[in-house]
Amino acid sequence: MKRYFREISVTLALGLVLLGLAGFAPAFYQPQPLLSLATREAPTLVVACGMVLVIICRQIDISVGSQFSVCSVCAALLAARGWPLAMVVPASAALGALLGAVNGVLVAGLRLPSIVVTLATMVTLRQGLNLVRQGAFVNLPDSVQWFGLSQAAGQWTLVGAALALLVAFGLAMRHLAAGRWVYAVGTDAEAARLAGIRPQLVTFLVFVLLGALTGLAATMNLVQSPQVQPMVGAGLELKVIAAVVVGGVAISGGRGNLWGAFAGLLLLACVSPALTHLHIEAYWEKAIQGAIILLAVVADGVRQRKQKF
Amino acid sequence: MNASGSHSAGWKSVVLRYETLLFVVLVAEWFFFYHYGTTTNRRGTVVGFGTLDRQFDILRHSCEIGLLALALTPVILTAGIDLSVGSLLGLCAILFGKLWHDGGLSIPAAAALTLVAGALGGGLNATLITRLRLPPLIVTLGTYSLFRGLAEAITHGAVTYTDFPAGFLFFGQERWLGLPTQAWLFALVAAAIWLLVHRTTWGRAFRTIGFSPEGARYAGLPVERRVAQVYVLAGLIAALAALIYTARLGQAKADAGTGYELFAITAVVLGGTSIFGGRGSVTGTLLGVAAIAVLKNGLACLPVVIRLNAAEEMSGLLTGALLLLALTGSVLPKLWSSFRSRHRRT
Amino acid sequence: MAAASPTPSPLLSLRRAAKSYGGVRALRGVDFDLRAGEVHALLGENGAGKSTLIKIITGAHRPDAGEITVAGRTLDGLTPALAQQLGIACIYQSPALFPDLTVAENIGLRLEPAGAMRRVDWGARHRRAAQLLQQVGASIAPAAEVRTLSMPEQQLVEIACAIGAGARIVVMDEPTASLTQREQERLFTVVRELRAAGVGVIYISHRLEEIFALADRVTVLRDGQSVGTHGLNEVTEAGLIKLMVGREVAQIYPPAESAPGEPVLTLRGVGCAASGVHGVSFEVRAGEIFGVAGLVGAGRTELARILFGLTPADAGEITLNRERLAPRSPPEAVARGIAYVPEDRRRHGVVLEMPIAQNMTMAVHRRLFPGGWLRGAAEQGLARDFIRDLAIKTAGPDAPGGSLSGGNQQKVSLARWLATQPRLLILDEPTQGVDVGAKSEIHRIIRQLAKDGLAVIMISSDLPEVLGMSDRIGVMRGGTLTAVLPGGSPAAAVMAAALGQNERPDPA
Repeated sequence: MKRYFREISVTLALGLVLLGLAGFAPAFYQPQPLLSLATREAPTLVVACGMVLVIICRQIDISVGSQFSVCSVCAALLAARGWPLAMVVPASAALGALLGAVNGVLVAGLRLPSIVVTLATMVTLRQGLNLVRQGAFVNLPDSVQWFGLSQAAGQWTLVGAALALLVAFGLAMRHLAAGRWVYAVGTDAEAARLAGIRPQLVTFLVFVLLGALTGLAATMNLVQSPQVQPMVGAGLELKVIAAVVVGGVAISGGRGNLWGAFAGLLLLACVSPALTHLHIEAYWEKAIQGAIILLAVVADGVRQRKQKF
Repeated sequence: MNASGSHSAGWKSVVLRYETLLFVVLVAEWFFFYHYGTTTNRRGTVVGFGTLDRQFDILRHSCEIGLLALALTPVILTAGIDLSVGSLLGLCAILFGKLWHDGGLSIPAAAALTLVAGALGGGLNATLITRLRLPPLIVTLGTYSLFRGLAEAITHGAVTYTDFPAGFLFFGQERWLGLPTQAWLFALVAAAIWLLVHRTTWGRAFRTIGFSPEGARYAGLPVERRVAQVYVLAGLIAALAALIYTARLGQAKADAGTGYELFAITAVVLGGTSIFGGRGSVTGTLLGVAAIAVLKNGLACLPVVIRLNAAEEMSGLLTGALLLLALTGSVLPKLWSSFRSRHRRT
Repeated sequence: MAAASPTPSPLLSLRRAAKSYGGVRALRGVDFDLRAGEVHALLGENGAGKSTLIKIITGAHRPDAGEITVAGRTLDGLTPALAQQLGIACIYQSPALFPDLTVAENIGLRLEPAGAMRRVDWGARHRRAAQLLQQVGASIAPAAEVRTLSMPEQQLVEIACAIGAGARIVVMDEPTASLTQREQERLFTVVRELRAAGVGVIYISHRLEEIFALADRVTVLRDGQSVGTHGLNEVTEAGLIKLMVGREVAQIYPPAESAPGEPVLTLRGVGCAASGVHGVSFEVRAGEIFGVAGLVGAGRTELARILFGLTPADAGEITLNRERLAPRSPPEAVARGIAYVPEDRRRHGVVLEMPIAQNMTMAVHRRLFPGGWLRGAAEQGLARDFIRDLAIKTAGPDAPGGSLSGGNQQKVSLARWLATQPRLLILDEPTQGVDVGAKSEIHRIIRQLAKDGLAVIMISSDLPEVLGMSDRIGVMRGGTLTAVLPGGSPAAAVMAAALGQNERPDPA
């Protein structure tokens, strides 16, 4: 149980927040707003699945927000041209994988620090998009909305798809050799090499996978609104990293799992509705997010120091 | 430094220095924009890049990012990173506005308190990094969000502080002895950081820590204290940049300095400072800042960019691409030599 | 020549294996045989060439000359991968495991076939791990994280991996260095089972009683040469010690000329729980060289780290020039006049990327640069003086530390600390990996320093060096100082103290 201390404590914290909301703001529990909240967070969860892999591999990617925007706009343009969703979704995922591959080559191939590489790609992609699109919105055909289903059905589809991905990745990370390799590389790349694993290849592939998931998430966001604005996804990287770190995935690699990240995401997702319901201004959201990241890493730091002595 | 080696070797090392190359590129860049970015309008006056006003504008605009780049140079020399400087700039600008506007403090008192706040913000980074041994990357990513969030929370994302007295705006909008006032402040800080990095034992310690933190510890250097000082200094300079920013625009907003950390890091890396620590110079950083500032302003003067109305995006795009290029360039020699040695062995 | 092997085809044999590292001859034509179903002990002082021999057998290093035959196959280029394929496994003192992963997973990652999309059968993993762990007699839960295991437990995991991989040749490098009596006995059982199964075990240990209890044959190495292979029934402990240390000290050491003065450093019951040092008491006088001998892992470097403030003491009392000394950090220790020339030159002693002048002045920033302002002339002057005085071979004061040879790097490291004009100089393996010429120069420098009245602590695994240089010799064993012998004591006496023979004068 000690091994899953962080996952359990995050789940407990989530439970406390939910209890608090039940006490002070029961309105939070109305089914329709709750489903809407879940739907809004579904794309974030999909990106978080990929981010967990990258951080377990002892890397980081802060360009996912920009990747998300680029994929959203491109997917929207394709959809507006009349491409069926069945083709738009894989195209968007492929584009995301390509963008992830760029990061992957720079980090795994050239062994550059991932934080600086992805800082650069974050801005390059964002400004490139702004340059090409000049902030123009893309209007989407009605058939794209909720996959052409009713709103409730569309919402359930999105939430279900996100949860299915979560479960798939959660199981793969636990029960597939490739998943264990990610842990092995994040724990000790040299020992991994001795055990016959190729650390650079694994590192490259997790970036590609994160990109593909980001592209997929972009389309999951696409179907929720009648138009796409290019700033969609700005700040997504912080939200996702916060959720993952809060969920007990160690920034130093090798530790953590998707279930913890899921609990972390839910906890953060409850923050902003909790703020509104508790009549705290929403302007605090970013500050609270930052404070939660710091708190999570401080907790890890204190715990690791204790373990050392 | 002032090695009394043979003169020919000294001459060669100056020519072959990375800074020299960067300087040549900067001059070429300047002439490019001078040639393509300067036009004569219908009334016969020269407009665009070639005017003195525009050159002063470049100076003005590069001061804040330049200050952040100067602040980051010692940080990166110790093999650290500080992503929070742009956010801290925003928070300090807001604090300054609030202290003066709502707190009723005089400008000097508010400015002094702002500098203290900046140092405290840097101190938060320093404490978490040195006391708890947390990686600078994630700590400053957290404070990056925290500082910006606090700025937004204080202003509710909407309040803008304006109507600063002319005496204060003098620092951002006027000239003194023929140059924009803040250029003098910037020069002062640049000289101070240059002396710190290149002429004092502190700078020596930063490099040593960057090359080998364990080696520095075994040499009896106070590693934790020096690392902490680097982050506090970065916070202090970010606060100074906030004051200059506010004086230049005449207003303090929560989004002040958004994305500046990227420009600053790019300037430092472009200036030849290794992201892995140890190697680098303040001269390089200044040249890097100049190259980016000229690029940013020069683009805005090119007719084609004016037609597209995309100066901001173009400069951001090119800066990001430039950072990637500089990073790649910095590891290529290392990769090449390891590739060669691998092939020689087999 | 080694003892003729009666079996026609040994499991592994080395003929005239030689290896040099940058001018230092680590192995000079060693013959070695390993039969199936035997435990073959390898014995020798630190630096006698044991680890080089192991590196050649595991394919980590390629010998300069000689040939290796494994199971009748003469191999030209043995690589780690090929060694693994041939069933050669090595259990190192500090195993290369994944600390964040469980024991079962560590074993699984090593033993399971390749294939990324393969399903991990956790049940089978745990069962296999449990079975292998039981086989090595370890009561370790397969679900335990490796980071929570002690070093001996991690070794057992490594052995389990080796057994699981079906190793035919198992190399054990001081496996009992940190084991308790019970763990040790369990390990012996495992080794005997391996032997019974026809595995050849190369067993490296400094503990003679272990070798007598476990091994069938023993090969003694000295100065990179084999000085004989014997059946354990043919030799005595005293005979082995004599073989290890040789008949006389080959090198000429500068004679002691000084009469030690006042005590400079005094330790009373000093200990540090974190680094396993306890109850250390001794004193060092001005002008004295206090040699510290002992096996690797006996706590010698840990003692130096306490004195230098890297791992502060939590027990006992230290005085320096009659004032209490309790450094919490290296800067405090330096301020009190303590200098430490560390063992790991490349990581701790010299910053390889920086010019040697800057390396030399690193510890004297305060004195040399008043107010913190660098003064190039003073720095260059100091560097030139030391380059001249210590005869450092370099292109000049601005050459990077990494461009120098090992011996010259060591001199730079020494110069850095001499520049501080210390009261106490601690040298940790001052001549390790240094060629012969530089070695005797360094010895002369140390002797001169002592003559000038400096108190010197010299930690060394080089027994002749300790014997030849020291005025008194402290011997450490198991984290504490067990004996202080006069300088010029017979090598066998020091060796016996380091091996713990004085506690068991008459072992079976």
